Amino acid sequence: MARSKMSFTVASLRIKRVIRERWGLISWLAIPMIIVFLMSLLAGTGSGKLTGRLLVTDLDDSMVSQFITGGFAQGPLAEIFTTKQVSLDEGKRLMDAGEASAWITIDNGFGEAFLSNEPTDLKLVKNPAQRILPQLVETSMQLLVDAATYIQIVFEKEFNVLKPMLEQQKFNDADLVALTLGIKQQIENLEETIFPPQLKVVEKAVEEVVEDGDGIPLTFGLLMFPGAIFMALIFAGNSLAIAIWDDAKNGVIPRLSAAPSGLNDYFNGQVFGAVAIFTLIVSVLGVLGAWYFALPWAKMPVVILWLVFSGLVIYLLFVTLALMMPSMKVANIIVNATTFPLLMLGGSFFPMESMPDWLAAIGNFLPNGFLLTGLKDWLIRGEGMVVAMTVPLVLGLAMLLVLWLFDRQLIKKLIHKV
Amino acid sequence: MIKIQSLSKNYGDFTAAEDISFEVQAGEIFGLLGPNGAGKSTTINCISGLLKPTVGEVFINNHSVMGEPIQAKTSLGLVPQDLAIYEDLNALENLNFWGQAYGLSGAELQQRITEVLQQVGLESRAKDLVSTYSGGMKRRLNFACAILHKPQALLLDEPTVGVDPQSREHLLNAVEALKTQGTAVLYTTHYMEEAERLCDRLAIVDHGKIIAQGTVDELRSQLGEKDLITLQGDFSLTDEAVIAEFELIEWQDNSIRFMAENAAAQLSDILARFEADQVKQTAVQQANLESLFIKLTGRELRD
Repeated sequence: MARSKMSFTVASLRIKRVIRERWGLISWLAIPMIIVFLMSLLAGTGSGKLTGRLLVTDLDDSMVSQFITGGFAQGPLAEIFTTKQVSLDEGKRLMDAGEASAWITIDNGFGEAFLSNEPTDLKLVKNPAQRILPQLVETSMQLLVDAATYIQIVFEKEFNVLKPMLEQQKFNDADLVALTLGIKQQIENLEETIFPPQLKVVEKAVEEVVEDGDGIPLTFGLLMFPGAIFMALIFAGNSLAIAIWDDAKNGVIPRLSAAPSGLNDYFNGQVFGAVAIFTLIVSVLGVLGAWYFALPWAKMPVVILWLVFSGLVIYLLFVTLALMMPSMKVANIIVNATTFPLLMLGGSFFPMESMPDWLAAIGNFLPNGFLLTGLKDWLIRGEGMVVAMTVPLVLGLAMLLVLWLFDRQLIKKLIHKV
Repeated sequence: MIKIQSLSKNYGDFTAAEDISFEVQAGEIFGLLGPNGAGKSTTINCISGLLKPTVGEVFINNHSVMGEPIQAKTSLGLVPQDLAIYEDLNALENLNFWGQAYGLSGAELQQRITEVLQQVGLESRAKDLVSTYSGGMKRRLNFACAILHKPQALLLDEPTVGVDPQSREHLLNAVEALKTQGTAVLYTTHYMEEAERLCDRLAIVDHGKIIAQGTVDELRSQLGEKDLITLQGDFSLTDEAVIAEFELIEWQDNSIRFMAENAAAQLSDILARFEADQVKQTAVQQANLESLFIKLTGRELRD
């Protein structure tokens, strides 16, 4: 009882010191929010709405090619993309500079090949630094190509009439009327299949942004939000781990090892203190995020528990690294050197969705990476909790146990390093 | 109360403490006197369990520090050489923390905090952050943290280093008070005047070994009635025979040390044996622990 009380005293002193110092706590909370805001601005708008720039080089300049390029300038895609007609040189320059999400090139002869039902290519260049917007372009192009294929099949007879007219640029009224009536007849025939009368067509405004999971609008800001809380936890974990070295340097740890309560109570107290501080950080940022991104409040308890658990894993990892080092100076260097790869690759600075696949795969091997992915899969993508979180939970718990046992030994060796 | 048996501590080939043995009884202050690096802190660290002795045993209140560490440490208080307190907390918070580390809680802890704050004269600054304290006040708080639990054995590792005279007096009075309460105190210092004032018995340590041990009077008697004379100047061309009848401690080109009875009366005769202007500075020290240390080691305590 006395020993557990000692641990809680250590924890309460740690919390008191963090709150008294206050600028550390403020920076842990503020820096992630600032970074999310700035990154959202860089990605598009401050509200996190996805916008991108689509370059089009239409070398064919035919009716068919204009049908393809026009598809991106209409409807919901026009809300997401600003389409810019460019020459080959300008397109290459803008893509090299990373100033566009994607670049479509339609080669000369595309329209003729289409009308002749011959194979032809559309070229798409995607910006590797972006993930979602280029993917949208690619998907839209596939839809257009599919649509065009069906049109080819359905209107084959009419295309055969139209093609010589276009080639010779000679149009007589009788042929045009016959062509128009033929197309109308085909559409009326198709209407019975495509628009069966028993179906009621309901008009609905198209969402401006992609939706996922439980109908949560998937914005860049939302994709960054859980990672940003991880960022706060990583900053806090870093400082709290180094604080143990501070206690060793100021003589508290050596003196405690001469006391009957020993260092285990001290270490457990540090862990309790870290849990309390993480709970505070996660609660503040979690509530702000849930309000801003309209996340379901019912999920917040699990979100907070998961984030605190994740913070603890990261903290113990930092403590292990710090305690293994021969001096406080080296511990500082190593822990800081570890912090930034964790932030960059683990989805805190950039959402993993915006990373190249190979980089995201590396990020998922990092503890903050797989814990973050588990959370996002459940919270944002709407996967089941068991499917999304079981593996990260088991891995995290295993890390927690091993690191905790290891750190209890390492801290005893710390007294000989100061 | 504190019993050290044949304690040695080696770091590879280097021996920091060698075959140290002594006992400190309840109500006794035992001094470990020696220069920096003599092995005093190593001995203290072995006694407090911070270091594992290479050889030997340490008992606190009849409990082996290695075999029954919790029981042994419960009876022990430690005032480390360097401050071991949280400077970003106030004195009350520090004392609350250290009291709990030694198993105190509740009303008993609060009462002891009030008592020790009074004892070290910090009651008026108890709620101020330690970072606002003077060096001496920090030392007093450092001391207070070690005596909260009324330890039966107290280790003080150079507690007055860098302390102002007022704080030093506070600390020395507090140590004397503990002695009267029956605490066994092990006190390390290189200030011989502190050792002479406080210690019932002491051991002089050099290069990890005890080179003399006994009461202050017993150790003084090793010097007899002789005083220590130190001459500084250029003696590179002088023959040692000029002071042949005195007990030579050390002869170097720029200084010589020797023992002489009634030095003050003989000083003019002694100086006349050297050439004019050869002796630049003269010092006569009456028999004390410092001169004993110099006699035993050829070095000063503060070297």
